[in-house]
Order: sequence, then C-alpha cells, then structure tokens
Amino acid sequence: MIIIPAIDIIDGQCVRLVKGEFKSKKVYSLSPLAMAKKFEQDGAGRLHVVDLDAAKTGKPVNQELIIKLAKAVKIPVEVGGGIRDLKTAERYLQSGINRIVLGTAALTDSFLLIHLLEKFGSDKIIVAIETKQGKVATNGWQTTSNKNYLDFAKELKSLGISDILFTDVDKDGTLTEPNFEGVRNLIGLGFNVIASGGISNLESISKLKQLGADGAIVGKALYENKIALKDALAAAKSASNLTKRIIPCLDVKDGRVVKGVAFQNLQDAGDPVALAKKYSEAGADELVFLDIMASKENRQTLYEVVEKVAKEVFIPFTVGGGIKTVEDICSLLQLGADKVSINTSAVENPKLISKAATAFGQQCVVVAIDARKVGKIYKVFLKGGTQETELDAVVWAQKAESRGAGEILLTSMDKDGTKSGYDLELLRRVSEAVKIPVIASGGAGSLEDLRLAFTEGKADAALVASLFHYGQFTIRQVKEYLSTNNIPIRI
Amino acid sequence: MKIAIIDYGAGNLKSVANALTSLGRSFEIVSRPDNLSAFDKVILPGVGAAGSAMEKLSTSGFAEILPKLKVPVLGICLGMQLFGQFSEEGNTPCLSIVPGKVKKFQTDLKVPHMGWNKVELVKESALTSGIPNNSFFYFVHSYYLEADQSCLIGRALYEISFPAIIQKDNFFATQFHPEKSGEWGRKILNNFVNL
Repeated sequence: MIIIPAIDIIDGQCVRLVKGEFKSKKVYSLSPLAMAKKFEQDGAGRLHVVDLDAAKTGKPVNQELIIKLAKAVKIPVEVGGGIRDLKTAERYLQSGINRIVLGTAALTDSFLLIHLLEKFGSDKIIVAIETKQGKVATNGWQTTSNKNYLDFAKELKSLGISDILFTDVDKDGTLTEPNFEGVRNLIGLGFNVIASGGISNLESISKLKQLGADGAIVGKALYENKIALKDALAAAKSASNLTKRIIPCLDVKDGRVVKGVAFQNLQDAGDPVALAKKYSEAGADELVFLDIMASKENRQTLYEVVEKVAKEVFIPFTVGGGIKTVEDICSLLQLGADKVSINTSAVENPKLISKAATAFGQQCVVVAIDARKVGKIYKVFLKGGTQETELDAVVWAQKAESRGAGEILLTSMDKDGTKSGYDLELLRRVSEAVKIPVIASGGAGSLEDLRLAFTEGKADAALVASLFHYGQFTIRQVKEYLSTNNIPIRI
Repeated sequence: MKIAIIDYGAGNLKSVANALTSLGRSFEIVSRPDNLSAFDKVILPGVGAAGSAMEKLSTSGFAEILPKLKVPVLGICLGMQLFGQFSEEGNTPCLSIVPGKVKKFQTDLKVPHMGWNKVELVKESALTSGIPNNSFFYFVHSYYLEADQSCLIGRALYEISFPAIIQKDNFFATQFHPEKSGEWGRKILNNFVNL
C-alpha cells in the first residue's frame, strides 16, 4: 500500500479543513511547493494535491501553481479539485500531472468522463467518491446528492473506471479513523481503492493495508505531527516490525564449547555459559546449543550446561542433538531450554513432533533438516548427514509443519563449511512452502551472504557459527550491515 | 514480599523463576489457589493452548479466585490472553478480567509470530517505567488479545497492530515474554515486583 501525503491549496497556501468546511481553514504553510519538496525528501512516493478554491467554484484557481509544484518534484503528482471540463483536465495531464481526480464532474458529466477515459485511459483517471452519510457529496463537499455511493460506484465500474479515491467527509480532518466499511465495500466491487479522511494513526494504516487498500492519503495527521511520514511509510510497506533473527550456534562436547571444521580437529572454545552471556550481551537474538556427541554419557553434562545457561541468559535458546523421546524433550525444557531441535528422530518417528507439540506447545519444537541436492530435488539426510533418505526436503518440511513443528532449522549440506553462501534455492523453496519460520544454516562466509538469506532465501532467521567463533565479524557488525541494507534487525 | 508463580501445568515456569532469582527475588510455585491471597504479587505465565489451560484453571479453582485478586497480577503470553473474555482458540471462555476477545492472526506473514518485535508505548504505566519507547521484546504466539483500548499500554505491529502490554487496575499483562527479552524484559519484571 502506498502512503500519499495530501497538499490542499486555498489562495496559494497549504491548508487543511475539518469535514470540508471552508470556515474551518487552517494554514500550515505559505508554500505548497516547499511542502511538496519536503514530503518528497521524507520518502513519499506520490503526492495528492487539491485545488480547494477550484473544488468550490468549479474553475481552476491554483492550476499554474500546481503544475509548477509537480515539475519541482520527481515523484508522481495527482491532482483534484475543480476539474470539470476537458480543457482543465487536458492542461493538467499534458503538463506533467500523473493522474487527475474527478469528483463532481464524474457524477454530473458522464460525457466528459467517457471522453477522458477514451483519450487518456483509465490509469490516468481516479474518481473521487466522497460521501456524507452514505450519499455522494459534490462541489468541494458543499452539497450532497441523493445518490448512494455504492450505486454510483457500480455505474463507474460499468464505464471502465478502476481507481477510486474514497473519502468519508464526516471523517475528514477529524483525526479519528477512516470509514473502513466503505473501503471494504468498494474493494469488494473490484476497485483499486485509495482511502482518505480521518487517517490519524499507524493502526488505521495497518488496517487499511490489511483490507487490501491500494493507498492511503494522509493530511492533517502529518501536519499536526500525529504521525511521522517515515513511520506511515514503514507501516504501509512491511506492516510488521518483526525483526530477522541472528542466532549464534554453539557446539557442545563434554560440557565445553568446541570448534572445528566438520567436527574435525576440535578445539576448546570456552565455557558455554560465559560464551552464551557474551553473545547475548552482544545482541544475539537467540542461541542454539548443539550436543555434538549426543551420547548417553554426555547427556548428564549437557543437562548441567542447559541448567546453568538458563539461570544466566535471558534470551531464548534451543538445544539439539540426540533427542529421541518426549522424556528427553521434557527434561531439557524443565531445565530451562526454550526449544528443542529434533532431526533424525523426527524422521524415524514423526509422532514425536506431534506428541511434543501437544505436550509443550508448537513453539518449542524445532525440526532440523539436513538437505543436499540430488538431481532436481533436495533430499533429506539423517545421522549427521551420513544417511541418505528418499524424502524431499520441501515435502518433509510441510509434513513436519502439519505435525506441529513450530520452526524449521534448514541446513544445506552442500554449503555447510564452504563459506560460499547459503543455499538460497533450498531456502526459498522451503520457506515458501511452509507458514512457520525457517532458520537458514550452512555456508555463511560474508555479510552479504546473510543479507541474501533474508532477501532471496526468504529466511526468518540465520544460524551463524564459524563467522562469529573465529572472530571474522562481531554480532554488532553483522547487525549493522543488515540494518543499513534495509533488513529489519534488532539493534 | 511474597511472589506466587501459578503452576497450572501450562508451560515453562523455569524461565520466569530463573529471571526472578536473577533479580534477587524469592518466589513460590503455587499449584492450589487456597492461600493465594497471602501473596503480594501473582504471576500467571503460560505457553500452550487456551482450552486446556482454562480447564486446568477451572478445575483447580484458580479461575474463580484470580479475577477477584486485589494485589498486582502479571499475565504473560497465554496468561495475558486468558485475561480476556473469550478465545477463538478452541472457542474457550476465559477469565473476563479485561474486556476483549482473543483472535488468531489472519495474515500472509508467518504464524506463529516469533521473534523480536518493537513495542510502541501509548500510555504510561508503572510496569513500563524506564522502558524506552519502541524497545524490542521477544514474542512467540499465534493468538492475541484484542483488549479494549482503555487497557492499552503498548502495542506491536504484525500486519495489524495488536496489544502487547495492557493494564486494568491491578491486572498487568504482556503478550511477549519479559523473562526472555533480555535487559528490558528484566526491567519489566523488576518494575512488576517493585509495584
């Protein structure tokens, strides 16, 4: 959805009215041109300019000023107000105005509307439907017709109009909330709808986006600093402030963190609790502990590590490696782990996923998938990558989701340890096939690799091991790089 | 000061307990409502499903006593949702402490809503004292309590804007997990125990 700042002009000045009442006029700037440039600078992708004098009188008053304004900015400008004859419409469209908005004329002069549609096409014309208590208002909202707005909309549809600017006059300039029902009704008739009037907070913007509106015109809320344009743009764009997660992965053996390449030449990398605290303080979003021995003897040591970490680290952490039964899961969660990661045993016994999800909640069941490309598909491998299966990784991820997995931890065996980047194709295929979050793993060698995991791979989180362990980058560096490159990140 | 963490078999009490310990607070894990009124603070944590949680709260007698408490009560995650009147999850009648219904996210975005999200503070509350606006907190949930505007303290954006922190009289709640939200999460818990 696009956010369109409004510039309403009376006597060459930038003003706002309340409910279209001319006597409620408040001047915000003497220079609409400066205002347009400011909106452009703040990131607006489009401007909505209204000649209010013309809307009232039916004759263009501020036309030349508006044309000058449109030429002064690089972003498209749409213009409304007093466009009631061919000459005015042509003057605008032939002078660099991107689209014209017809209100009164669309209701009273269907001949003009048809002519303009034929001459300029429907993508140059927006019809403004402005309502007072469900009836169409005209002449700068000074008068109200007897026509129901939805009947009017249906007539417009039959003429070939595709874009509607919908304003509830009773809401405009009131800083309340837009007429969501009206917007919904018009979208229901198949129009591209730009909503206007009463948009005063980010909530309304999110809701309009959710309804499927094409655009939202924001006026008074910007002038009165109720919303910052950049926040409005952000809300309309992503409609989510959820950040992508950076998750350091710690391999644990005999109660110590170890590092090595492909589990060879393991070196001691320190105390798990101290490292976990260090990463947590440095800005890690979560942690994963992988028990790389996963032997019965080692289990008790792992439990002790989990218990200690839980007492001192206050971000979520996942424990994986050798988990076979619901009892294993229960023990780890009771010691303070937030999630468990299951791999081989999930394939061998898919009921383990559903049992764990029912007993402890979906959010704590991470299904880890190790995959390698074989021919055209990615096959699932078990037992640390040593055992090939006939399972398609995408199909298995979907099955795990339907069994109750809360997340997929996806490792590319082809890429793991190569530092040549994540397997973006694998990531994207799995990420698009499931509705649960996907954690990318295996192959990160540069900051750009991480960015691509999120943009191209559509991952929700990235597991990072050697990049951090060997001090190539700090968590801070990674996060700052991603943030500067427009990836939503918690810093 | 006596702090009770209600154990109703839903979810991981350990992390709330660990966080309180790290703040130098002692607590009791309480699985019967008999002497709940003897506590100065009550925490209702919870992950899991609304239906089974309400069933357990009802059979144990907590459901009757909780709404009548006069001491500060903190609901966390599912605990917050149970404060509402009704949950879409299993069509479950809830505790009716706060006006509002629990709804599932209807979105093309990933569900559960999992990870760190910004909380915009809209009203002052003792619970959020010293917390900067738009701080990040850790969320894991598929449902949210669409609480009455009058209770709204903070909200987060996930396609829609939903309540992340609410307060009604002595009842406080967070949809995120303060015990898993790093320093600012600990600050919220600390604010609560210091109320």
